[in-house]
Amino acid sequence: MLPRLQTPSWERLLELCGRHAHLGLVLGVLLLWSLTGLAFAEAFFVPVWVIATQLIVAGSLESARLRRRAWLGQYLREGSPWHRWLRGGVVMVVRHQLMGAGLALVLLVELRLLPLVYWPLLLLGAVVMVVARHLLRRRLARHVIARHVAAVTRRLLMLPTAGLLIIALVMAALWLPQPYLVGLSWEEALLDHLQGRENDSLLGFFVRLGSTAEITQIWVMQNAVQNLQVTNPAALLGWVLLLLTQSAFAWAYVRLLVGADVLRREGRHDDVDAERSGGHESS
Amino acid sequence: MSRGDISSSRTAGQDLPRAWGRWGLSLLVVLGLMLLLGMGQRLLEQRTDDPLYRVIVNGQPLTLDAKTHAALDRDMQEVTEDIEARLMARMRPWIRMRLAITFAPLEAAVPGYLDWYFSLSGSYARLGMTLVDDVEPWLEAQLHERLVTPSGIEQALAELQRAYPKQLAGMQQRLVDQLTQQLYERYAPRQVSMQEDARPATAVYVLDLDEVLNRSLSEEMDMTRWRAATAGGASLGMLTGRALARRLGAAVVMQGGRMAMRGLLARLGVSTARSLTSGGVVAAATAPSGPGALLAGAATTAVTLAGFAGSEYALLKLQEARHRPAMQAHLLDEIDRAHQALIETFEARTMASAMAAGDRLAGRFSPADRRDELPHAYRILDRRGE
Repeated sequence: MLPRLQTPSWERLLELCGRHAHLGLVLGVLLLWSLTGLAFAEAFFVPVWVIATQLIVAGSLESARLRRRAWLGQYLREGSPWHRWLRGGVVMVVRHQLMGAGLALVLLVELRLLPLVYWPLLLLGAVVMVVARHLLRRRLARHVIARHVAAVTRRLLMLPTAGLLIIALVMAALWLPQPYLVGLSWEEALLDHLQGRENDSLLGFFVRLGSTAEITQIWVMQNAVQNLQVTNPAALLGWVLLLLTQSAFAWAYVRLLVGADVLRREGRHDDVDAERSGGHESS
Repeated sequence: MSRGDISSSRTAGQDLPRAWGRWGLSLLVVLGLMLLLGMGQRLLEQRTDDPLYRVIVNGQPLTLDAKTHAALDRDMQEVTEDIEARLMARMRPWIRMRLAITFAPLEAAVPGYLDWYFSLSGSYARLGMTLVDDVEPWLEAQLHERLVTPSGIEQALAELQRAYPKQLAGMQQRLVDQLTQQLYERYAPRQVSMQEDARPATAVYVLDLDEVLNRSLSEEMDMTRWRAATAGGASLGMLTGRALARRLGAAVVMQGGRMAMRGLLARLGVSTARSLTSGGVVAAATAPSGPGALLAGAATTAVTLAGFAGSEYALLKLQEARHRPAMQAHLLDEIDRAHQALIETFEARTMASAMAAGDRLAGRFSPADRRDELPHAYRILDRRGE
């Protein structure tokens, strides 16, 4: 691995691209969908939502199963039938599907509202995730059971990557210019800056909701900063809204990328890791 | 190894439908959520009370819901786009009528001026001035004295200057009254029924349309004071009589100077045959105190003088017959041009003020420009401006 890293060539680059094609595909779909016009976005809202949900669920389900199995292995006896019952079935799947659909919705609506400036940040987040996964897997390979290396890597990857992305997004939200809302009443701010007002579809409704949250947060924070009443509970609401939306967005985004990884690995029939792990198990 | 192979192929075979099942489940969940949220959205839409808008039109408060208010906004936009054309349509006939009245005496005074111009005294005075001094300022003064002053155009223009802002204000006032009346008639039936007095607090905007319109236009009134500004055809400096005379004269004087020289040459050509220096005679006749007075003695006999005068008169008449129509046409042409320029000026002023008023109105009505004075962006971190 190391010497190949040291001599980068076109083949290596192509291989790298090929290996992360699924991430590129997912990001491309999201970028395209979030930047196109309203008619297109509405027409493809359901497919994109389903894809995003599926990706998020794939990642979160894998991680939840891993956690459940560890828990069961910790406390239950080897032969107990509870292993089978509690392994995670329909209830877990449905729960994660619902949660995934919600997260995907947040992600998509935020993407519609996001200025283009944020995209480099998101792409950088994807790159950081890939690099971190690579490093982490090399570290973990020596210690973790080979069958679980990929899953454990992904599980450990989530928190730092999402955390970094959250910090970056919050900083960007604080640093980038916002519409000037100081001294306006909340209704006036909404009337002036609400997006997605012109369409009555469901997507428009979500965009309005997201926009309302964003404007509320900006309005609260600006007025709080300006009046220096930072102890105000309203200011707290602003910060909470900011942190909540940005972290939900970042979490959904990283989950999506990780889920793309999971799905690709599962979809590949000639999985190297699976074979290796099978060999490892039999030996 | 074989066990691993079998298991992997088995899971692969099972995975395919299971994967599709998962996609189907996702689709189901998404569709279910959409259905649920869509229902919620519809329910919410039914139950929200839109913000109410209170608009004062024509002295009467109207309470409108958001949709009607948007329609009113659109109507106001149209009206403000239209206001220039309407004001123009009202002001144009008045401007033309007043200017026509103002310029009529000037045009009527042209024949009188030309009578003097081609009279013996006028002719000789001109000739004398041509010889003695620069003829152009003198002719200009003559134009002013004999053409502009008798026609009374200076007073008429001053009167027009005073009357124009008043007229504009009156027209604008009438236009505003008419507009608000029209808007009131259109929107009074579309009011929100005020039986539910329980929620007067929801009225977000209170907009006094009358006040906005009147303020937009009265600000305009300050600007309509005559200032040294050029708008369109001619500068407003034209409105003083002296300048008008200069403008009128500009072409005529040139022409006149040239014609005077030509006439002098012609007369010199005829006169030299009979008298010593007709120039001296002419100068003696017109400017006895001038340097030509030295040559006055050259005019010796009354006979020659009479003959000379007769021939001079005939020549003058000939000259008049030849040049008068052209000069008259020229003067009238020039007057007409000044007339047109003034019409353009007044109309440009009217247009400018109407457009300014319309812009201000439009600015009041589009929310994006309503707070132009505020900064557009705000940064929580890195506020360099502070």
